[in-house]
Amino acid sequence: MDNSFLHSKKLLLVDDEPELLKMVTVILTDEGFRNLVTAANMKEGIAAVQSEKPDLAILDVMLPDGDGFSLMEQMRTWTDIPVIFLTARDEAADKLAGLGLGADDYIAKPFLPQEFLLRVYAVLRRCYKEDAPVLKLDSCTVDFSRAEVNKGGEILPLTAMEHKLLETLAKNEGRIVTVDTLCEALWGGNPFGYENSLNAHVRRVREKIEADPSKPVSLLTVKGLGYKLLARK
Amino acid sequence: MKAFGKYISKYLLSFFVFVLALLLVNILAFAFTFGGIVFREYGAASPANTLEAVAADLSASGISKEREQELNRNHIWAMLLDASGRCIWEASLPEEVPTQYTIQDVAVFSKGYLRDYPVFVRSMKNGLLVLGYPKDSFMKLTGNYFPIRAVRLFPLFLTGILAIDILLLFLVYYFSKRRISKNTEPIMASIKTLSAGKPVNLSIRGELSEIADSVNQASRVLSRQNQARANWIGGVSHDIRTPLSMIMGYAGRIASDAAASGNIQQEAEIIRAQSAKIKDLVQDLNLVSQLEYEMQLLHKEPVRLSKLLRSYAADLLNAGIPEKYSLKTEISKGAETAVIECDARLISRAISNLVQNSIHHNPQGCTIALRLDCSDSTVFLTVSDSGMGLSAEKLRELTEKPHYMESTDERLDLRHGLGLLLVRQIVETHGGTMKMESAPQSGCKTILVFQRSLS
Repeated sequence: MDNSFLHSKKLLLVDDEPELLKMVTVILTDEGFRNLVTAANMKEGIAAVQSEKPDLAILDVMLPDGDGFSLMEQMRTWTDIPVIFLTARDEAADKLAGLGLGADDYIAKPFLPQEFLLRVYAVLRRCYKEDAPVLKLDSCTVDFSRAEVNKGGEILPLTAMEHKLLETLAKNEGRIVTVDTLCEALWGGNPFGYENSLNAHVRRVREKIEADPSKPVSLLTVKGLGYKLLARK
Repeated sequence: MKAFGKYISKYLLSFFVFVLALLLVNILAFAFTFGGIVFREYGAASPANTLEAVAADLSASGISKEREQELNRNHIWAMLLDASGRCIWEASLPEEVPTQYTIQDVAVFSKGYLRDYPVFVRSMKNGLLVLGYPKDSFMKLTGNYFPIRAVRLFPLFLTGILAIDILLLFLVYYFSKRRISKNTEPIMASIKTLSAGKPVNLSIRGELSEIADSVNQASRVLSRQNQARANWIGGVSHDIRTPLSMIMGYAGRIASDAAASGNIQQEAEIIRAQSAKIKDLVQDLNLVSQLEYEMQLLHKEPVRLSKLLRSYAADLLNAGIPEKYSLKTEISKGAETAVIECDARLISRAISNLVQNSIHHNPQGCTIALRLDCSDSTVFLTVSDSGMGLSAEKLRELTEKPHYMESTDERLDLRHGLGLLLVRQIVETHGGTMKMESAPQSGCKTILVFQRSLS
């Protein structure tokens, strides 16, 4: 999926390690992100959130004058921007889950640049929709804003369920999405026993997006796990 | 525990034996001290003997010279009263002693004293022979009579009181022992727990509370040391993360930098891959130590294992594994709904460690299969591969020999990865069991068995 529309987003990085800050900046700049703001502690971080109005905050959990959790809590009083935690602590996952602070993701140190970028993209994509969200597939294009598939000039409307299914797969383009995640996206909660319905929806989506629905090339089945959507190369 | 009870019995019994011995010694000492005096006093000069001797010696002309000297030597006086109470013969009779007695006088002095002289009498043909011993030489019992009932009761009383005494002593022994045992049992139990390295909190009141305090103190010291060790490992693993991030980050960048030469890219890739190993090691080390010292707080909740397994497999495939490995996920129909009470993150970690082991030990590539089956009460999670497998010897070593983290001997050459130790700890924390099967050239299979929670 083309992520370049996200490169204009402004990212705030807060970490007390200048060298780590520098490395993350380099990784992001190389990837094409142009608007980066950095801060070394909580005070600077809060000031930056207020003055720079970033679109995403990447916070270290341990800061010299406080911790990332309380920084986020303060931020949350006036902004809802997504937050990713960078943490050297093992228990961070528990803490985030337990506190229900509403962080969007956490990345445990040490991390690989690729992993880091994937997570950043995933959070940004979830929170900021492409202005013209058109997905190009092998034999068609999908216009999510109009819930339409354009297959060689033929316009095929998507039902709400089909739209949600395609959207969930598109957000994880190129990645396997488990049947559990898809069922949750379609029916909410912690559903069980919807596999047959899911299969039916997948079949109908394939009829709309694939040139040959019996030999799918865009919406692939991953046996035993789920499905994967491949964009046009 | 038993040993301690025996120990108490032995000492209490020897205490009673000692009491008995002491009694015996007392009796002997008594006999030794008073026996001499009594026998001497009761010897040749005893009242009975003297009375008999004087009676035999006494004739119309009095007693023989020798007998009289003997009486004088012993300061004994003598007199003979006739039937009318008149003194008809006397020897060394003191002035103060009268020579005429009424029948009342005789009745009174014959039981006791005459003018404070202890006197002894003997009835003779021709009168009453009276011997007077020096003042303060004998004490006479003036009330020397007992009801016959009391005398008859005496042997019964003696045996009875003896029996009761023995019974009381036994009861004292029994209850002392029971009380000591009751008070010492928790102490012994705590010491046993302590020796297994587990913390205790002993609460005893009374005399033994000091021991309880010491045991609790030892437990606290032990816990503190465990805590310190876990903190130390936690601290090191924490501090190593940020520098490692940078090593991995930059190595990753160089490895994919088109401007770098092929060689440099390869070398950077090696640095990256090795850093990733350190990362895994650091994470495992920290988790192992937290589980080992029970510092890790488990977040158990009902988890559908089928979902967890699929999610893990999807994440692994999405993160990308080399082409030569393939991953299969098979979930039996019945296991689809199987739920266990667990910490999802830890279970994922255990699966991950097993899968990573299969990858590391089969550089030629292999097929890795994740399987989920269940019976009515248990869930079987199997991670298997089609790789090289292990020799029987190696398998035995992996499953039986303690890990170097757990052993105190110096044989660190036995070390193998932390991965398997962590899997075992996670499984045990969840009350499950772990079984490994392998044979050379036929892959390796690890089965984790958990109790299914009732839904």
